[in-house]
Amino acid sequence: MSDIAFLLLIFIMLISLINYRREIKIDYPEGEYQEVTQADKNLEIWVNREGLIFYDGDPVSLSYAESLIADAAANDPSIRIHILADKNTPFKNVNGVLEILKLLNHRAVSLVVKEPEK
Amino acid sequence: MRITTKRKKRIDIAESGALSDLAFLLIIFFIVIAVFNVNTGFLLGLPRKNSSKIVNIEDIIKVRLQPDGSLYYEDAGITMDFLEETVLERLKVRPNMTFLLIIHPDTPYQHVVDIVNLVRKDQVENFSFRMEGFRQ
Repeated sequence: MSDIAFLLLIFIMLISLINYRREIKIDYPEGEYQEVTQADKNLEIWVNREGLIFYDGDPVSLSYAESLIADAAANDPSIRIHILADKNTPFKNVNGVLEILKLLNHRAVSLVVKEPEK
Repeated sequence: MRITTKRKKRIDIAESGALSDLAFLLIIFFIVIAVFNVNTGFLLGLPRKNSSKIVNIEDIIKVRLQPDGSLYYEDAGITMDFLEETVLERLKVRPNMTFLLIIHPDTPYQHVVDIVNLVRKDQVENFSFRMEGFRQ
């Protein structure tokens, strides 16, 4: 029994490691009518309250974010871009990322929100 | 007289069941962690850069969103509830209605999300937004 349990444990640990992401501390915006926007291939761009842009846990400039998105979209056009922005950040910071996506003709974007706390 | 000492029977940790309990607890922990990484939100379709679409002007509801979260429709301040009523009424008359949101650059992102939430709730198909003063 414990053999099976440990095999399962190793399997699930590996899956967790594959799914591992470096999170940035943000206050998630809240919305009720959300849907699952996760795709097979995903790229997450984080925007913190001060408007700094992060990719994979590291701060990046807007132009570097543009090259990252361009490279990712060139490698896999079906990649889903997620914007995870702090709910208190001014919209102009999010708009910068949206303008990059428009410029690159990347049609779909996921604005990540969480369910409101009850 | 022979003294007999009782030897304590050694318990094999694998046979005790404690190990499998621990393993299953860890499995549950990692499953929960894996589930946490699924993004939920709003999936929006963006227009192409410099693209335009001809829309009947009477089909457009143009709303301005200010940094304090206040909404302006036809130069008058409105509440979120009033906006929802207006949208629903307009949708009945004009199913091809386009909701145009003009956002002040300093508006907190949550206010924008609130409007997108309303658009999703009322099932508005044509939703467009741009930042105030930002022209392509």
